Amino acid sequence: MEKIETKKIKVIIAAQQFLYRLGIKTIISAIGVEPDLLETNSFRSTKNCLVRNSEIAYLVLNEDILPTPKDGHLNELGELCPECKFMLIGNEPIENCPCANYAHNIENQKEMVERFQEFFFEPEKNNDDDSLIQLSEREVEVLKAVAQGYANKEIADKLFISTNTVITHRKNITEKLGIKTIAGLTVYAIMNNLICPKDVKG
Amino acid sequence: MAEVILLDYKLIPIISRFGVEYGFGNKTVSEVCVDYGINVWFFLEIINSYHNPEYFPEKQLQNFSAQLIIRYLSNTHSYYLNTKVPEIEGYINEMEKKASEENQKNIKLLNDFFRDYKNELKNHLDREEQNIFPYIIMLENNLSKMSFDENLIDKIRKEPIEKYERSHDNVELKLNDLKNLIIRHLPPVLSKELCQKLLTELFRLEADLENHSRIEDKVLIPKVKLLEHKILESSGKN
Repeated sequence: MEKIETKKIKVIIAAQQFLYRLGIKTIISAIGVEPDLLETNSFRSTKNCLVRNSEIAYLVLNEDILPTPKDGHLNELGELCPECKFMLIGNEPIENCPCANYAHNIENQKEMVERFQEFFFEPEKNNDDDSLIQLSEREVEVLKAVAQGYANKEIADKLFISTNTVITHRKNITEKLGIKTIAGLTVYAIMNNLICPKDVKG
Repeated sequence: MAEVILLDYKLIPIISRFGVEYGFGNKTVSEVCVDYGINVWFFLEIINSYHNPEYFPEKQLQNFSAQLIIRYLSNTHSYYLNTKVPEIEGYINEMEKKASEENQKNIKLLNDFFRDYKNELKNHLDREEQNIFPYIIMLENNLSKMSFDENLIDKIRKEPIEKYERSHDNVELKLNDLKNLIIRHLPPVLSKELCQKLLTELFRLEADLENHSRIEDKVLIPKVKLLEHKILESSGKN
């Protein structure tokens, strides 16, 4: 009989202290996930680990491994592995980071387990609307701005990205929604309560 | 002629665009065309290009007079504005009236979207009727009489058709968006039949516009360029 090889998902646990990593492992196993676990204890080793291993699906990291500025370093990791889902454990959110989930100041086990279940089992969060499932958060931002009538350059300045990135986002939005004209995108955005009709530039 | 329609019902609006009415008995295409004073070869090329999208005899079509092509395009314009667009508008209005409270807002958005589109289309077609077509007819007349008006030559120099060609925008894009908005993004509506009719008409109008633009872009404009060139050459002001 042919042996079916099941491929395990790969998860990195990144935290300076052993007890943290042990705790994270315990919770992961408690919620029934049996991944290929990789452990790292510094920013550098986490980065190397992402570079060397392809197909890392999840990264759970404690903020103690991030040198300041934390957001910059976090984004550096995010760029290495755009497909990977991030969870950050720490005291406060970090802005503009690629994390899908956070665990901040969680005091009891139940809440922590729930947070991990969400992280591993639930589809990516989006603006509470099923029909938007297909657009990433960034794309939604760009869509809102386009629908309001901003030009590419203005959107680039507003969101701190390059004009080329805006154009790429727009291309992806058009592909996903099947809508090419600005007027059409505006209708879509109002329909889905992303913008108010009065926000649209005359 | 009857067999042609029986073979492909999509040609129904095309023959009425040529002014042909039903009740033609067993007359052949050529006999009917003679009755209505239609150029048989032009008629055949047009209906064939609608029947089979792969068939598009650019060169043959360019041999017909600009006047003939323009008369046909002009009839098509009035068909869009007087028949198709009001029909679609009627469906959307009706859908809005019959919508559930929460969906009404969405259908109203589509209605506004289509109204804007209608105005754009109207401006686009009016511009052709009022500026472009008369210019082309003048070119053809001047050339046939071999008398060349200074103003005309001036216009060819300053505003050749090429300039218009560059700004000839695509009128189908928005229709396509409207289709996608309804098919993919609009929450289900109560009046399913209306919605079906609306979608079908949007597809038809879009296909018709595509064929129409194809005639303008691939037949009329190259022909006009040739006319412009001939006039400049014959008037010795090239």
